Amino acid sequence: MPDEAARSVRPLGDDHPVDTRTCLIVDDSRIIRKVARRIVEGLGFEVDEAADGAEALSHCTGPLPDVVLLDWNMPVMDGLTFIRRLREMPGGGRPKVLFCTIETAPERIAEALGAGADDYVMKPFDGEILHSKLAEVGAV
Amino acid sequence: MTEDDFDRLQALLASRAGYRLGRDRLHLAEHRLGPVARREGFDSVDALLQSLWVKPVASLGWAVIEALLNPETWFRRDRAVFDTISRELLPAISRVRPGGRVTLWSAGCSTGQEAYSLAIGAQEARVAADIVATDLSQRAIDKARSGLFSAFEIQRGLSARVMLDWFQPAEDAWTAVPRLKDAIRFARHNLLDAPADGARFDVILCRNVLSEMEHAQRGRVVDHLERRLADDGVLILGAEERIDGDTVAFRPVGGRQGLYVKAPAALSRAA
Repeated sequence: MPDEAARSVRPLGDDHPVDTRTCLIVDDSRIIRKVARRIVEGLGFEVDEAADGAEALSHCTGPLPDVVLLDWNMPVMDGLTFIRRLREMPGGGRPKVLFCTIETAPERIAEALGAGADDYVMKPFDGEILHSKLAEVGAV
Repeated sequence: MTEDDFDRLQALLASRAGYRLGRDRLHLAEHRLGPVARREGFDSVDALLQSLWVKPVASLGWAVIEALLNPETWFRRDRAVFDTISRELLPAISRVRPGGRVTLWSAGCSTGQEAYSLAIGAQEARVAADIVATDLSQRAIDKARSGLFSAFEIQRGLSARVMLDWFQPAEDAWTAVPRLKDAIRFARHNLLDAPADGARFDVILCRNVLSEMEHAQRGRVVDHLERRLADDGVLILGAEERIDGDTVAFRPVGGRQGLYVKAPAALSRAA
């Protein structure tokens, strides 16, 4: 169907229907982005990707995503810097942000939550964990 | 594993545990029994089963049964019911109990996530709760009692904030803090066994257990649950489970999936 085809290629920043939930996956690993994309697309999200925090910010100039899956350690701009910038933006408090990272120390998790993350996923993760975390923050 | 072996396994689980082992689980059974065979010193699953059939040893029989039970569980499974428990049931029951203490039973607790979820909910609701958690599997109870959960297990159902409040890292795993572990008494128990004393619970959770049981045994288990439940208590089943056809002792709570209270008939019998 032409309408659906058009929807599937439209960039996330465009005017999307209000009932289509959007997810921005921010990770410097292409493999992690691919794995996460498969999971969240399976949950009905329209997905966009960025390889670092700065690129992710450039995706946040239009309508903000509903959910951000955010790596911590990335080149150019790390996840912590990104979320602090995001939360300062108009409407930047609305997206549900889940850190997805190999950092597992309690003080690091607390730091991420303190910076404004809604929840925190320790890698490696699977579909059940991600689904559970998204449910916990009310995103699914 | 032969068809005959599987038939015997089905009979073993049905008679000792009331558990229904569907024929579609033949390959799963073979897979699950591999580690049991190795642990017990057998060369193969076939050797394990032949030994069991020739000379039934109780401990080996239970090791086989435990391996074939469904251990699936996670923290705050069916999240809404835990909100109902901590925000509504516990405060309401606590108000009418001496000293405000509420008693809960996690019946068929597997590796303990349900019991820990209850303990967290009670402590966050500031309700004094005595929590008993039982399972048929001694291995599951041992793991539950350890309070140790892998990174996968701890993240399934718990938010990071709750995880940080109630668990601390222990090498590759996370362990429940002492005040959480101390709130739960874990014990092995077979739901087919009649209550050995008059202890009653205000809230009994028996979720995703009855649906795995042989139909003929369900009524017996429901009867035991009824005898264990306080007259004004609440029985909580899995979200998709129904016992309406198995008993007249309980009636469902309207609009609350999985919640049952005693029917008037059961109240008069208990009186």
